[in-house]
This record gives sequence, C-alpha cells and structure tokens, in this order.
Amino acid sequence: MTHDHHHPRPASTLELRARALEALLAERGLVSTDAIDAVVALYEHDVGPQNGATVVARAWVDERYRERLLSAANEAIGELGFGGAEGDNMVVVANTPAVHNMIVCTLCSCYPWPVLGLPPTWYKSPPYRARAVAEPRAVLREFGLELGDEVEIRVWDSSAEVRYLVLPMRPADTEAWSEKELAAVVTRDCMIGTAVPTAREQAIA
Amino acid sequence: MSAQTNELATLDRALGAETPLPRDNGELVFEEPWQGRALGMGVVALQRTGASWAEFRRHLVAAIAARPPADGESAATAYYGAWLDALEGLLAERDLLEQAD
Repeated sequence: MTHDHHHPRPASTLELRARALEALLAERGLVSTDAIDAVVALYEHDVGPQNGATVVARAWVDERYRERLLSAANEAIGELGFGGAEGDNMVVVANTPAVHNMIVCTLCSCYPWPVLGLPPTWYKSPPYRARAVAEPRAVLREFGLELGDEVEIRVWDSSAEVRYLVLPMRPADTEAWSEKELAAVVTRDCMIGTAVPTAREQAIA
Repeated sequence: MSAQTNELATLDRALGAETPLPRDNGELVFEEPWQGRALGMGVVALQRTGASWAEFRRHLVAAIAARPPADGESAATAYYGAWLDALEGLLAERDLLEQAD
C-alpha cells in the first residue's frame, strides 16, 4: 500500500499531470496537440440519431428483423452493431394506424442514447416531461403533428432500467426506396414519437 | 452513419462493461478540459504505439482498483485520474516513458 495511487489527488494536480504527459508525448512525437484536439472534438460533439434510423429502416424492409426488434430489442439492435455500455434495457414500440407512441422521461431525461445520440433540450425540459403524459395530443399538436381522434396515443415513461424507442410507420409510396434512402427520412423526433416520417422530406433532404 | 457515432461505439466496445466511460444519460462527462484531453491522449497514443485496447484495459482495471475516489471526488475525476495512471503504466511498460515523476 505504498503506491501513491492510493492517495487520490485533487483535480488540479491531475490537470497538471495530464498536461505534463501530453507535453512529454508530444516531445517524443507520439501525439500531437492537433491529433488530440481532433479526437476530443469527435467525442465531445453531438452524436446523432443515425443508429436509430438504421434500425428503423431495417425493420421496414425486413419483416423478420422487425419481429426480433419488437420482441427482443437489445439483441436486434446489437445485430447491427449498436448498443451501449450502460446496459440499457431497450424496448421498441411500433406505431400502427390505430396507435401512436411517444416517449418521455417524467423523472429526469432517460433516453435511448445508443440509438438516438444525445437528447434534445426540450426532451429534458420540465414542461415536456409533465405535459407529454397529461396532454399528449396537445403536445404533439405543438410539434406540428395532428393525429385523428381515432388514433390512440400511448406515452411511454422511460427510466434508467427501460428505455423506449418508437418504430414509426413506413411512409406510403416508398416501396422502391433503398434502405439508405428510407433511413434518411427517419428523424430523431420520429423515434421519440413527436413526428412521423414522410416521403416528402426525402426530396427536401 | 456518422464517423463519430462509429468511433464512440468502437470505443465503448473496446472499454467494455468493466471500465465504461463516465456518462450522464448517454453524454460523456468531462467536468474539466483535462479529462477530455486525457481521453484523446489515450486514443491517439494507442493508435500511434499500436498497443491494443485490451492491453490498455488491463492497466485501466488495475488503476481503477488502486485508485478509489477520494472523499468529494467525482466519478469522472476518479475515472480519468485512473485513466492517466493506466496510460502512464502502459507507456512505461513499453519503455516509452521514464518512470512518472
């Protein structure tokens, strides 16, 4: 127990150590400040919802994958190489003509980040968290999503244990589209359930 | 799929469930800039030396065990403190570093 690592130092000391190590590595030509900057930027910046869009597009074109996704989401998402280190239990809920799903975290801001990246600010805001459950139809209307009265809205409250992802309906007239083209219309909000994908967005994108 | 999504997923897989990066609801936690620098240094140094993530992880597991968070020290500070220990240990083992001062 004589090793100094048993006596954790305050952050300022660690900061000095980090600087000293970086300087030493730079001196030896092992790392450059630019290379570190590039890596840091990669990890600090927003990670987008592309993983989720890829999962959704696959489910649209592959009925068997869709079944696996709805019955055992973690495994199905893992098949495509996505997943997180937090061990989240993912549940995918599918929209139908009769049921529209949306997700919220009423307690904090639990979010299916391995597939959607970082949550948008509004997702974490108290008004969304409170109103999504109390008046989902009104919230959706504010997002520009008008659903018929015949459509049941199901709100799924995420937690640290279970995180939900909405599987939206495939837009009409997209039979000829490739999986990649399909993924391009699946936005983050579609998978939160505050929007639905439309074939028209493809033309704009 | 963006490059960064893949990079982060790769890093998550490399670190495994035993030594996951500190996160808050999915977002990597860097409380101070040096923590991000430490992460970046590790990634670049491994690329440049050809050391494997498995090798780094062995050092990291040992460093985390040897360095429990001090009173009032955050999980991220403790983690990246151990990360520096691990990186120094790995580099020293490969004779790329004099013993840490």
